[in-house]
Amino acid sequence: MIDATVVELSRWQFASTVIYHYLFVPLTLGLSFLLAAMETVYVTTGKPIYRQMAQFWGKLFMINFALGVATGLTMEFQFGTNWSFYSSFVGDIFGAPLAIEGLMAFFMESTFVGLMVFGWERLSKGQHLAVTWLVALGSNLSALWILIANSFMQDPLGAHFNPVTLRMELTSFQQLIFSPDAQSKFVHTSIAGYVTGAIFVAGISAWYMLRNRHMELAKRSFRMAALYGVLATVGVITLGDALGFVAAQAQPTKLAAMEGLWKSEPAPMAFNLIAFPDQSLQKNEGAVQVPYLLSLLVTHSLDGSVPGIDALERQAAQKVENGIPAVLALKTLSTNPHDIAALAQFKAHEQDLGYGFLVQRYAPDLEHVTPQQVQQAARDSIPPVAAVFWSFRLMVGFGLLMLAYFVLAVIYTLRNRVQHQRWFLRAAVWMIPIPFLANETGWLVAELGRQPWTVFGVLPTWMSASTHSVGYMVFSLSGFVLLYSIFIAVEMALMVRSIRQGPDEPGSGDSRSAPRPAIAPHPAYAAARDPHPEG
Amino acid sequence: MKTFLYFLLFMFIAAVVILLAAMLGDLGAWYFAWLIGTAMIVLIAAAGAALLDTQEEQAAGRSGQAPPRPS
Repeated sequence: MIDATVVELSRWQFASTVIYHYLFVPLTLGLSFLLAAMETVYVTTGKPIYRQMAQFWGKLFMINFALGVATGLTMEFQFGTNWSFYSSFVGDIFGAPLAIEGLMAFFMESTFVGLMVFGWERLSKGQHLAVTWLVALGSNLSALWILIANSFMQDPLGAHFNPVTLRMELTSFQQLIFSPDAQSKFVHTSIAGYVTGAIFVAGISAWYMLRNRHMELAKRSFRMAALYGVLATVGVITLGDALGFVAAQAQPTKLAAMEGLWKSEPAPMAFNLIAFPDQSLQKNEGAVQVPYLLSLLVTHSLDGSVPGIDALERQAAQKVENGIPAVLALKTLSTNPHDIAALAQFKAHEQDLGYGFLVQRYAPDLEHVTPQQVQQAARDSIPPVAAVFWSFRLMVGFGLLMLAYFVLAVIYTLRNRVQHQRWFLRAAVWMIPIPFLANETGWLVAELGRQPWTVFGVLPTWMSASTHSVGYMVFSLSGFVLLYSIFIAVEMALMVRSIRQGPDEPGSGDSRSAPRPAIAPHPAYAAARDPHPEG
Repeated sequence: MKTFLYFLLFMFIAAVVILLAAMLGDLGAWYFAWLIGTAMIVLIAAAGAALLDTQEEQAAGRSGQAPPRPS
């Protein structure tokens, strides 16, 4: 059996690398389409200010992109190094979207990023615009495939477990790609990136307006970011609702944890606005409830209800008892794959195989499992409620705050008055961290809510890790935290320097932004090129 | 000839969109919504910028001054 400390350290290592990585990703997803919007205006109107905007925000995009790629690489390798049993168990399914994600990120996205950065003086307007759009598409399609892989972990559709090979096998690529969780999660995550990009651009533009610097660029950037952001925020909220609806069907334990729902209630169910869940006592302290709201939110009807943790634990106990014969049959099949009786026993109980694995943590000898061990495993099937409950509320709170902010931003900017609202400009600068916090808390809900499984209902986390030593894990975790902290510091320093320096403004008289070409042209092209070729 | 080529291009795009809508409609249309929604968000943001240019030109016209010269 794998050391529990190694499993915990493997979880911490993956969580910390994801949290660091996900500080970069949403900005790439969102800023890329905002750059495409700016350049589209440049190409259609021919006004140089929009070229300047695309180049300036493109520089910040590149800083973020480079560090995002660097932090993302190690994550993919961790599946093999730290989660080798998981990789062996689901590699036939998980490997395909992961490989396509790699191809998208490293071939499509990275190739076009190079053309976008170095192509301003070498491509026509139309060609460069196409490249910028392809960068945006490549970034988001790359995210699509990793999110399809993640959705398989949340709701394993399109696969079945082969008791002879002892691995899961893909049965339907279509089901894998079009699973409800994959669809709603991709759109939710992608447009959460748009919100991040919009708040970033609006916040920095507000900072310029407060200092009366680069006003034309700042006003236009703010206008575009506000409109882009308000629509995206509406979309994020809509898709958040869709994800909750999907979770109610596919992951009832996650939903119960999100809502702090210890006891099953008849419809219409009340929503816990605030509560302090106590996992050991299985109850909430200091709950403030809104009547009827939970039924409306999770079932879209006043008559609908979802099971509480008490009912889910009872179901889990039954599944554990049903899963034990499946695991025992699997042991027989691993020595004799042609044992007909064992195969029949496995087929009769295979739907609860994962719950049989769950109890093995407490009862290595499955021939003699006590009711207490079954109950212990059933209780394990509930994720950490307080962490999921509060992460969810923080994410929703940040989402509603961003919606209010963008509505106000749109009102001010459409009246062309935003530059005079100094309090609002100051607030816009302070809003910059909010979408990053919302993204991180959203992922905490998704991943903590999936516990105790790596593949929901199929493969428990305690079985999934590699058999490293504690010392090795402590060493590598410390290394990652140190290295990634340096990356964050480098990103912040480069970003702040570029923002302080500001865009290149020919004739502005600002010594910090002396006119110069954004990218020095290759001497071979310099003489022949047209500086602003028509597309 | 150019008009005909545009016609072919737009017909092809329309066919792809219809095909995608038909495929995704039965399965939950979020991917399709993302394609349409992203294009819409980008175009509205772009239209907002063009509107700002017009507002500034009108404001400058009313005050009898030349509009501020971006860049």
